[in-house]
Amino acid sequence: MSLLEGLKRGARRGLAWIDAGLNRVYGWRYNPLYHSGALVLVLFLVLLVTGVYLLFVYHISEPYESVVRITRQAWLGRWMRGVHRYASDAAVIAAGFHALRMLVQGRSWGPRTLAWISGLVLLGSVFVCGWTGFVMVWDVQGQVLAQAGARIFDLLPIFGEPISRAFTGERALPGAFFFLNLFAHVALPIGLFILVWVHVSRLARPGLFPPRRLTWWLTGALLALAVFWPVAITPPADPFTLPGRAAFDWFYAFWVPLARAVSPGAMWGISLAAAALGLAVPWITRPRLGRRPPASAVDERLCTGCEQCYLDCPYEAIAMVDRPDASQTGKSTLVARVDPALCVSCGLCAGSCAPMGVGPAGRTGRAQLTVVRDFIAQHHPGGGDVVVVACDRGAGGVAAATEVDGARVYPVSCGGNLHTSVVEFLLRAGAGGVLIVSCPPRDCWNREGPKWLEARLFQEREAELRDRVDRRRVRLVYAAAGERALVRAALTAFRTDVAALETATAESAIDLERLCELAEAGAEESR
Amino acid sequence: MTPAVRGLFGVAGGAAVLALLRLGSLAPYTAERDVGAIVRLAWRARGERVRDCRRRTPDELAKLPVHMRQAEVCEGRILPYRLVVELDGAAAVSRLIHGAGAREDRPLYVFQELVMPPGTHRIVLRFTREGTPPADSTTTSGALATPARLTLDTTVTIGSRRVVLVTYDEAREQLVVRDGSVR
Repeated sequence: MSLLEGLKRGARRGLAWIDAGLNRVYGWRYNPLYHSGALVLVLFLVLLVTGVYLLFVYHISEPYESVVRITRQAWLGRWMRGVHRYASDAAVIAAGFHALRMLVQGRSWGPRTLAWISGLVLLGSVFVCGWTGFVMVWDVQGQVLAQAGARIFDLLPIFGEPISRAFTGERALPGAFFFLNLFAHVALPIGLFILVWVHVSRLARPGLFPPRRLTWWLTGALLALAVFWPVAITPPADPFTLPGRAAFDWFYAFWVPLARAVSPGAMWGISLAAAALGLAVPWITRPRLGRRPPASAVDERLCTGCEQCYLDCPYEAIAMVDRPDASQTGKSTLVARVDPALCVSCGLCAGSCAPMGVGPAGRTGRAQLTVVRDFIAQHHPGGGDVVVVACDRGAGGVAAATEVDGARVYPVSCGGNLHTSVVEFLLRAGAGGVLIVSCPPRDCWNREGPKWLEARLFQEREAELRDRVDRRRVRLVYAAAGERALVRAALTAFRTDVAALETATAESAIDLERLCELAEAGAEESR
Repeated sequence: MTPAVRGLFGVAGGAAVLALLRLGSLAPYTAERDVGAIVRLAWRARGERVRDCRRRTPDELAKLPVHMRQAEVCEGRILPYRLVVELDGAAAVSRLIHGAGAREDRPLYVFQELVMPPGTHRIVLRFTREGTPPADSTTTSGALATPARLTLDTTVTIGSRRVVLVTYDEAREQLVVRDGSVR
């Protein structure tokens, strides 16, 4: 195992532990870490609203004095400034967790490269935006940040005059300096919204906002913090006094001690190396050529042109195109086509396709039926046994085991990849019940797996679990990787419920081809 | 876990995160640790601009496109200055200051900070043009050109964590000391 893999595994375990704790307290719907990306956007909006107010009361001609005036307005200015400051800090934390989650879940390469790189650019822009914001205050922290930044930038041979000269005290700082700062601080966020659009441009139905209740809780918490623990006024900048002990914002000033300890050249080297490492992540984390999961492929003979895979694909990797031989073959005029450059091999299309004509090699509906047949032959579930179908990314980690509390485990790569025919097959083969354990919806590594799975099992979304399947014998639970206890509790409860039902009987021989034909016929009928 | 206990944990967890956010947002830091006082040398000087010109040979001209056949080519540069500083009789700085820019044809910028203990110190400073223009070159020194030699010999008293600035006053054409009391 490489060092990188070891680090990723360690970070994944840490996140699983934190997620499990948060799920227990807040429930998976309101686990803030599941919504870290969306929370950044909410925080941007909070910054925008509070920033508009601050923009009107801030004066570039007397920057520090105007901030002092704002802070002394106990009923509005103080908490507006506080919320603005704390929201900017929270945005860094949320963005950090979001990037970490994407990294450890392996969602940083291939078609997700654009999202990763635009995310890094977004984070960098947030830092620059924050830097200009702190300089605008022109207190001790602003002075230190400005001087440290100027010292680094003076190494570039592009400035006619060293920037550091502005802060020596030789002359008063020109208003143009604060105007430029203010301009950058206001203009950058406009760029940020464009970057957000690029960031999610390859996603279908991007989840831009967290649940409303979480949004209000977050905003309220920041407001409470700003009211009860306001941002203090620090001493003003003075070029003739060495900055003494003052309060610094470590989410934005974390680099200052390093910048003061090393030469500007070394600082450039460290910064460029860190940026290069961040930008190289898609290539570093990409699995080796033979180990990359295959993109989905469409069997055009089976495709009925129903558009379900096109609708369900979370990455807009499937397009419906005209079928060239539609008139001769009498088949549908449209046929699905997968763009391998956009496909992340999530396999959600396989679960959506009633005739089982699409999916990554080895995980199409037909391939799943072959696997489940072998599973039945090997384990012979019957006599009311419950089979646990577990997503191998979450589900309390039970997918890695062959059984949990005596129940056989049938692992799947993603709950959304599971074809409902597999559930039907397990029950017809004699399983007393099928407990499907999927990741919580906002934690799905493939974005929409649990959502589509639930809709296919219980809400008749294509490819739906057929009517003849007894729904009492099918249960879906959500459990994150660190929630094994939840899986065991759900299994115990489900076993009790299944035991109360009549004993399940196994069909002697299930004809796989027949099952596939029936699925095909069903799909044709529904067109 | 009952809903009440969960709620309690939820509020406590949220409060802990907010407390951490607050601590990270306003954590005390001393940017200039263990520094007594500073003498800051900072000024801009307009040096003597030297133009070295030569005429192109007919062969060189023939190799150039028609629109670029300029008979005479000139390159300008600013003569450097040597900065020498003595603090309390001990040599503290001796370095050559070149014109800014890749061709050294921009004004000279002096920026140096000398750390010293608080108290009274004698500063002797010489800022002297280095070298003489070649005989066949032309020089242009504008009306506001910095004199060829600037000197300062003064005694300053600096408080703890204070900065004394030595800068060039263009109007008076001399080096001056500022300590922030008069701006």
